[in-house]
Amino acid sequence: MPPRLPTGCSAQLVNCLDRSSLCTTQRAATAAGRPSWPSPATQQSSAFSTTAPRDLTINQRRFWKWARKGLGKTLRSPKPGQTNYMPSGSNSSRADVPFPTNPAFRSSPVLSDEARERIWENVMKKGLPLKAVSARHGVDMRRVAAVIRLKELEKAWEAQGKPMAIPYSKAVLSMVPTHDCAPDSPPFEAINEMHVHSYTQQQIFLPTSESRHFTRADAAKAFGEKILPPEKKMWVPELLQLEKDIASGVGIQEARSRFLQATAKSELEMAEKHAKKDAIANEENVRVNTDRFQFRFEGISVDSSGKTGRHIRGVGWRYGVPHNDRKPGAVKIPTKVE
Amino acid sequence: MKQRRLLRFHGLKRARPRQTWNKYNLFNLFRLREPRLSGKTIFQQKWAAKAYTRAYHGEHIKERQWKRMFSRRLPSVVNMDPRYLATDDGSRLAKGRGSGLATVRSVHEEIPYMNMAFFPMERRLDIAIFRALFASSARQARQMVIHGAVKVNGKKMEFPGYLLNPGDMFQVDSEKVMAATGRPRPSQAKEYVARKKRVKAPTDNASTAEVEEEVEEDATEAEAEPVSGESAKAASIMAMREIRERAKDVIKAHKTEMSGNRKKALRALMKEARSNISKSQKSSTTLEETKTIVNQLTDAFAKLELSDEQRKEKEEREAKEKEPQVTVSKRDLALIKESERAKLENPYDPSKPYLTPWLPRPYMAPFAFIPRYLEVNQKICAAVYLRHPVARKGEAEVPTPFSAGLNQLAFAWYLRRG
Repeated sequence: MPPRLPTGCSAQLVNCLDRSSLCTTQRAATAAGRPSWPSPATQQSSAFSTTAPRDLTINQRRFWKWARKGLGKTLRSPKPGQTNYMPSGSNSSRADVPFPTNPAFRSSPVLSDEARERIWENVMKKGLPLKAVSARHGVDMRRVAAVIRLKELEKAWEAQGKPMAIPYSKAVLSMVPTHDCAPDSPPFEAINEMHVHSYTQQQIFLPTSESRHFTRADAAKAFGEKILPPEKKMWVPELLQLEKDIASGVGIQEARSRFLQATAKSELEMAEKHAKKDAIANEENVRVNTDRFQFRFEGISVDSSGKTGRHIRGVGWRYGVPHNDRKPGAVKIPTKVE
Repeated sequence: MKQRRLLRFHGLKRARPRQTWNKYNLFNLFRLREPRLSGKTIFQQKWAAKAYTRAYHGEHIKERQWKRMFSRRLPSVVNMDPRYLATDDGSRLAKGRGSGLATVRSVHEEIPYMNMAFFPMERRLDIAIFRALFASSARQARQMVIHGAVKVNGKKMEFPGYLLNPGDMFQVDSEKVMAATGRPRPSQAKEYVARKKRVKAPTDNASTAEVEEEVEEDATEAEAEPVSGESAKAASIMAMREIRERAKDVIKAHKTEMSGNRKKALRALMKEARSNISKSQKSSTTLEETKTIVNQLTDAFAKLELSDEQRKEKEEREAKEKEPQVTVSKRDLALIKESERAKLENPYDPSKPYLTPWLPRPYMAPFAFIPRYLEVNQKICAAVYLRHPVARKGEAEVPTPFSAGLNQLAFAWYLRRG
C-alpha cells in the first residue's frame, strides 16, 4: 500500500489541482473563441472532483473555427442566383463541381420554370411534334415527355387549388444552375447520345481488302449481326435528312419546314400504330363497365402453364405447386409499377 | 434506440463522408483525405476502398443486398453529331491499312468509367428521392417511403428498395419535403425566451391577488407623491392615471366575458402606466418624453378598450371612410401586391412542423445539385427517373465524392465477388 498524505495536506493538494485544471480549460476555451461549458461557479460547487472537465476535442475546435470564421461561414447560406459549392484547393476551381475531389461529376444545369412552361406550351398549345421541340431546344426526348407529364400534373394541382411547395421551388432553383431554353440560347444537352453496346467495346481483327469501301454500317456488322449503326439508333432520325438537306444547299428555312413535316408525320404514324394495337386488344378483351370499375377479361389458355405446370405465364393455383411468394426469403418488392 | 453504427455517424475523428446535408458532413468532405494505400497489400487496399466508399453509397443497405444489385457492366454513352453522321459515312477512318489515312491526333478525353462503380445504387427509390433534393439525407428519404409519403406512378410505394425503371414518376408529400429541407422550428423553450424578450408581457398566473396588490401599491404611491411645479407635466401624469383607472374599470365591468389575452394586455398596460407615472415624477424626464408616453398609452388603451368584435367593426368603418381619400402610386401598388403575394405563398403558420415563413436549412447550398438522369418539378415535389445514370466523355453521372482510383479499387473488390 502506498504511503498516504495527512488529511489537511490532501485537501490543499486537491484545491491546487483544481485551480490549475481550471486555468487550462479557460485558456483552451479562449483559444477556440467559444465559451466552454464548465463555468468557474460550477467548478467550485463540485470541488470534491479532481477530474479536469471535458473540453472540446481538437477536432471539435477545428470544426467550430471552420464553421464560425472559416469556409463554413460562407457555405452556410445560399448565394442567390448562383451555386455555392465547396471550392477546391487548387486555383482551377470550377463553379459546377460540387465535390472537389471528384471533378468528373459536374452539376449540370436544370430546366428553369420558364423553360418548362415554354416546352409545355410548344407541345400542348401550339401542337408541335415532340421530336421538333426536342431538336429546337436541344432537350432529350425523354426529358421533354417528362416535363410535359409533370407540368400537366402541376396544372391539375393548380386547378384543384392544392397547396404547392412554391418557396421550396424558388429556393432550389436559385441554388442550382438553370437553363431557360430561350430561342437564342445554346442547346440544353446533347440529344443524340447513344448507348455503348458491350459488343462494340472489344477490339476485332477483321481481314478485308484495302480497296473496300468500309463504312460505319459494315463496322457495326463486324461487331455482331444485331448491332445497329448509329444512324439507326437515333431518337430523332429526321435530323439526318435535315443535315443532308442543308449540306446539299437547300435553304435553312425550307429544310426546317421539311423537318417539321417529317416529324409530324412520324408522330402521326406512331399514334395510328398504337391506336390499331389498342383496337385489337379491345376486340379480344371483354369489358364490363360498372359504376366504379371497368373489368377487363383477357382470354387465357390452360396450356400456357406448360408441361411442368410451373411456367410463368400459367394462370391460377395448381395442386402441389407452391406459390413463389410463399417461399422463405423471396423478395416481394415489386419490380415495376404501372 | 439508436443503432450502434449510427453512434458516430458524423464523427470527426474517423471521418467518412455520408449522404446527408449535415454541417459536420460538409466539414468532413472539406478535409476529405482518402485512406492511405501505400504499403498495403492489394487486398488491404481494396478492403479500405470498399469500406470508405460504402460508408457513403447506401450505408443503410446491407452488404448482401448491394452485392445482388452490383453490376460489372458500366453504362456509357457517346454523342454522335447528326451533321457528322449525315455528311460522313465513316469510311475515312478505315482507309489505308484500316486505321485511317490522316494522322490527325484529336484531344482524347476519356470516359471515367470507374466513377460509375455504384451506379445501381442510384436506381433505388430512397436514394433517388435524396438526389432529387426532396430529403436532407438518404435515411430520411427512406423513412419518408416507409411512412407512406411517396407515390410511384400515382400508387403508394412503401419499399425504399424499389428499383426505379426508366420513365417512373415518383412523388413525395410536399409538406414532408418542406419539413425535411426547411429550417427547423426553434424549440418551445427558445420560442418562449424570444417572445419574452420581444414583449415584456406579464406571467400567465395573473390573478385577483395581483390586482389587490396593485391597489395597495396605488395607495402608497398616492401618499408618497410630491406635487410637481409644472402644470403640463402634472396634467400628463393625471392623464396616465386616468388611463389606469379606466383600464381597471373595463376589467371589472367585463370580468366574465373578457378573453384571457385581453385581460393580460390590460393588466400590462396598467403596470406600464404605473411605472411611467413614477418615472415622470422624477425631474430627469422631460415634458416631451412624458407626452409621447401618454400618447402611446392612450393608443394602446383605445385598442384594448373595445372587445375584438367591436374593434373590428370600428376599424372597418374607419377604413371605409378613409378609402377614397388614399391615393397610392402604381408602383407602390405593384410592390404592395407583390409583398402580399409573397406572404400568401410563404405565410407565417405556427401549425407547421418547420419554421415559417419557410427558409432553406443552413448548409443546403453546397449539396444542391440535381443529376441529369432525373427531371424534377419542385413545385409539386415530383420527379421522373428518365434513364439509368451513364458515363460520357469526361463526365460520370453518379454523384460520388471519391476519386476514380478509390472507386476503381472498390469496384475491383465487388468484381471478384460480383
